[in-house]
Amino acid sequence: MTDAAVYRETTAQPRTQSVPLAHVSLELGHLYMEDFEGGADRLAEHFARVRPWADAVHAMAAVEARRPRVSTCFLIDDYFTRFSTPAELVPMVLAQAEKAGLTIDYLARESACAVADGTAVAEAVESRLVDSPAPGSDGSRPPARETGWLANGERAPGLETALEAMAHVAPWQPPRETGARRHSVFLDVELWDEKDGRRTWSCPFLAAVWQLARLGLLRHLGEPVLSPRSWPEAPFPRDWDDLPPVIQLNPAAAPFAAYRTWSALPTRFLPIEHAVRVLLDQIEADPQAMRQAADRAAGEGLPLPDEIPERISYVFYPGT
Amino acid sequence: MTAWGRAADPVLICGEVRTGLLQHSESLPARAVADLLRLRPDERVRISERPNGYAVSPEVLTGVDCRLPAAGGARTRVVGTVAARAVVTEGRMLQATASIVVAGPGPDVRHPWSHYLARPGVVEPLGKLPERAVADGLLAGRARPGELDLGAVAERLLARVARHRALDQRAPFKSRRTRLRWVALRALDGEGPSLDSFTLAEDGLRTVELRLPARVSPAAAAALCEDLALHDWLLTTLVRMVERSRLGSADAPEAVLSLRPAVDHLLHLWMPTAHVDRTLAPLWDVLEREPGFTRQWQTLVQRIRDQLALQAITLRRDALTAH
Repeated sequence: MTDAAVYRETTAQPRTQSVPLAHVSLELGHLYMEDFEGGADRLAEHFARVRPWADAVHAMAAVEARRPRVSTCFLIDDYFTRFSTPAELVPMVLAQAEKAGLTIDYLARESACAVADGTAVAEAVESRLVDSPAPGSDGSRPPARETGWLANGERAPGLETALEAMAHVAPWQPPRETGARRHSVFLDVELWDEKDGRRTWSCPFLAAVWQLARLGLLRHLGEPVLSPRSWPEAPFPRDWDDLPPVIQLNPAAAPFAAYRTWSALPTRFLPIEHAVRVLLDQIEADPQAMRQAADRAAGEGLPLPDEIPERISYVFYPGT
Repeated sequence: MTAWGRAADPVLICGEVRTGLLQHSESLPARAVADLLRLRPDERVRISERPNGYAVSPEVLTGVDCRLPAAGGARTRVVGTVAARAVVTEGRMLQATASIVVAGPGPDVRHPWSHYLARPGVVEPLGKLPERAVADGLLAGRARPGELDLGAVAERLLARVARHRALDQRAPFKSRRTRLRWVALRALDGEGPSLDSFTLAEDGLRTVELRLPARVSPAAAAALCEDLALHDWLLTTLVRMVERSRLGSADAPEAVLSLRPAVDHLLHLWMPTAHVDRTLAPLWDVLEREPGFTRQWQTLVQRIRDQLALQAITLRRDALTAH
């Protein structure tokens, strides 16, 4: 059809805004209170260990694209424990990174992965979980969902099932990983817990939201969320709540979001990141945002896997 | 990439629509409708005001890994997601549709789940797919356990929306829900869309068979079938109301009064193809020629209006003679 529609209603055709995309988003670290308690030395040691891997990621990006766009980011936990202040902490982090020859382009607060500028980001992402169906799922029943949990397969039958079967002694039935290669590695991930009516999102769940943000796949009513705001230099606020969700420290940085992500983390994060992959495998990202990234990558002649977990990579360095 | 082409090589689209009256005493205002259909906190409800009030929910997905029903007993396992959406027309009618796009033959093993989530609303067969047998299997009867049950997905979504606290659960009159199951095979290259059959089966089931060019999106196909289902429901319901009213019988005032809900809530809803893609709108003409949906509707409406007019005259005469 060549003739465009004469009559249009904007509420009938919502638009999804696109975000600028780098080739790679490289996470230089993830700071928790225990790291902070280790003082500046511990941070210096962390960045010194990350440096060679950061160089390797830059080199790899240069193999794929002639003029690679790599942006770096750093995440500070202000969600599970509140410690220090941006005014004190941010300059210290930046100074230690610089000593190791690293530039932090963007700095984010972990609590922004739960709620950013009044938008309940984590809750929206939870509503986008589509459980991987066990073989035999024909749509006739809703997926067997344990509220607040997500697994990578079928759970072992519980007590109720055993009672239903009228078995006096129920033989143990193993859980099963869907898509296992012969043997299962079954994982059940806690998404959140609640105490006194207050929900606390789990670390893997927020880390999954963080990955989606870095992949440029989060939208709220078509608008990008966790968009960086420019904050190039001190002074930084005295309260974490006064710091925007993501700040851009380097005015010359490549875009925050990217086709792919790399994260350099100590080995102790391996179980968390396994859980992140199980979650990302079962999240339906905004289809328009997915399409925008795919079209842009195709336009640049770059391969981009359809599967979200395939877009994220790690370096696990020794350490706790 | 084609519009069917969220799948690599799509061969058929199918779906099931449930249609019923919104269980609320009056028609629901647009803002309440938007609230009702907000199935996801981060996605907008699409709302149109012209030519009539029409709102579409975001799509929600259900994962499936099962067999497709197929005539002749072929067993084709498919993996992917069923897309479901709810639609409210004029704040009065509620519909829920579950649909899938079936991709062409695929590899024999299941992919990681994220592969399927990157293709929302698409199911991929493991191995070969006998399209014709599957189309026939989908249209015929009910699914056996282990076979894809789109109706159940649509039913669950309808139930979820119908439970919403904005609804007072007091419908102005009794009516039955209908089910419409549809299958669209790909039209041959260069050929336009066609409506090959529309069948009224028993216990409220209707089946529709279509041929659609690859450029037609699954959402456009769903909207067409929702439109067919809506008007079929209106016609079916009005026919039943007129039958029940015993219009033209001795007790004329009673009969006319019993039709008041139809006048209040239904007569203005008839508007074929109001939100159907224009390339698909001509498919309605087939049904207008035979059996003549609008012809039957207008005849019924005219009959109700004639009776109302007659009643008005009688009442006026009675009032005059009483003086």
